[in-house]
Amino acid sequence: MNREQNSRTSILNYIIALAVIFALNFILPRMMPGDPLHAIYGDEALVAMTPQMEASLIREFALDRSWTDQLLAYVINLLHCDLGFSYYYRTQVSSVIMGALPWTLLLTGLALIIATALGIILGIESGWQRGATLDRCLVAGLMFLSGFPDFFVGIILLLIFGVSLNMAPLSGAVTPYAGLKGLDYLLDALMHLILPLASLVAVQLGAVYLLTRNTIVTLLGESFILTARAKGCSDLCIKYSHAGRNCLLPVTTATGLRIPHLFTGALFIEIIFSYPGLGSLLNSALDARDYPLIQGILLIVTIAVLTANLLVDLLYKRLDPRVKYAH
Amino acid sequence: MHINPMRELFFDPLARIGLVMLAAIFLMAAFAPLLCANSPDDYTGQIFMRPSSGHLLGTDSMGQDIWSRLLYGARTSLAVAVAVAVLSASLSVFIGATSALMGGLYETFWMRVVDALTSIPTIIVMILVAAYLRPSLMLLILLLSAFFWPGGARIVRSQSLSLIERMHISAALTFGSGRRQILANHILPDLSPIVFAMMIQDARRAVFMEAGLAFLGVSDPTMISWGKMMHQALAFTYLDVWQWWLLPTGLALSLTLMGLSFIGFSLETAMNPRLKGNLLRREG
Repeated sequence: MNREQNSRTSILNYIIALAVIFALNFILPRMMPGDPLHAIYGDEALVAMTPQMEASLIREFALDRSWTDQLLAYVINLLHCDLGFSYYYRTQVSSVIMGALPWTLLLTGLALIIATALGIILGIESGWQRGATLDRCLVAGLMFLSGFPDFFVGIILLLIFGVSLNMAPLSGAVTPYAGLKGLDYLLDALMHLILPLASLVAVQLGAVYLLTRNTIVTLLGESFILTARAKGCSDLCIKYSHAGRNCLLPVTTATGLRIPHLFTGALFIEIIFSYPGLGSLLNSALDARDYPLIQGILLIVTIAVLTANLLVDLLYKRLDPRVKYAH
Repeated sequence: MHINPMRELFFDPLARIGLVMLAAIFLMAAFAPLLCANSPDDYTGQIFMRPSSGHLLGTDSMGQDIWSRLLYGARTSLAVAVAVAVLSASLSVFIGATSALMGGLYETFWMRVVDALTSIPTIIVMILVAAYLRPSLMLLILLLSAFFWPGGARIVRSQSLSLIERMHISAALTFGSGRRQILANHILPDLSPIVFAMMIQDARRAVFMEAGLAFLGVSDPTMISWGKMMHQALAFTYLDVWQWWLLPTGLALSLTLMGLSFIGFSLETAMNPRLKGNLLRREG
């Protein structure tokens, strides 16, 4: 299979995956017994709804017409970026999501960068001196850490630093009504960010570390390492420029594969620390049975995950010159 | 196979720790009715009781005995783990191995399905479906298996393809054995270590998913689940109850997951000879 064909099939896969999510969003509420408006908006929402609102919603979703018309109305609404109306927050779903998205992106983005960088460095150092005390401690410690489920790592950090030691704020992203400006505001946001970020990094670190370490261990037996040694490269140069560079390929692929895990991990961590991102939003939407909001959030997360995976797929082919030269 | 990875498990310290952890949880689940005096669903009347001889871990916000709920929660976790592992591994082996043997359009079709299914984020579909349909244990098991088998099928297929090239398969073909016989007598036995490793990994993911979904509040309301217990306990971190409510539950869940990942990791090391012997053990 050549390269073009390869990237074309991967794009096709993502389109199929996206279509499945869209289809589920469309079919599930309409499959429910009874009135589809009930299923789309939930029983709680209809209590607060006036007959006029109901009529306009039925018109908007084309619920009184055939299912092809309904599908058309659904697609047109999506193309307008209209994800529906959140009855719980009493505003457009898209604007509720836009309010929460930056916090999630901040959290996941920083966690991804820190966990990957730290994991690669620790992995290289410990693979380089495998069998030594440092290596054995790191392997055992990080294996132990990655055994914990995402949300329990967050809970432990919350209990130790938030509840027992009272060192960090328990919830939120900034102190409410403090009216902080400039640097104080940044510091305040950082204090709120540090525990969720630490838990997310702790959860992600183990996988990157173990992969890098194992790759280094197998790489160190290769002849190009011997060559580098023979021509008099320093240890640092061999470690990072020769072995480390070759680690980037598997690590990049694994990073791409971990992105869904990163997002779902962030959902849990945000709920634990009441961090005002998509996770907390999803939690309150699930509690309130605010179906349009649930659908909207899951749609955004899916699109984010699939886009990230696609980018990594394309990046991977750029990163590995061997793939290009082979054809 | 000259090395039997499954037998190696008993000699690897890491796997031994994992086996002990899992055995503890299994015993908890098996002997749950003998180990606790209270029924997990009974309301004892008083809420937030401190640990005592009557209630080993006290009572929760509804006055239910936490220790008995912990024991019965192990049953839910293990039931999901075993059911999903068996179901998804059977699907993986069947579809993976038959694709490798039959080839052609059949193989192309299934590999396309595998590719598409692996790109869908599992937890999102799970939340979506659970939010609309009435969540139940059966639905959870079926959905998890539906999402877990493709990864395994891909591995089984590539492994079978390399096995088919081996000499003993050509010998069997020369002696006139059919496809079914080759599959049953020559390919499946050699696949067993990989399938076992796959099942361990699926079990781990299933336990995590069950707890995670219950933690998010999308689970069968009548089911006792560690994830749900943690979700309830998290609302009361300002009281002292977290010490015997949140912490033991989280530890039990972590013990299960850790036991499974230690065994999985050890299996992987045993099957990949290049990594062997340099983990936790000093060389030379």
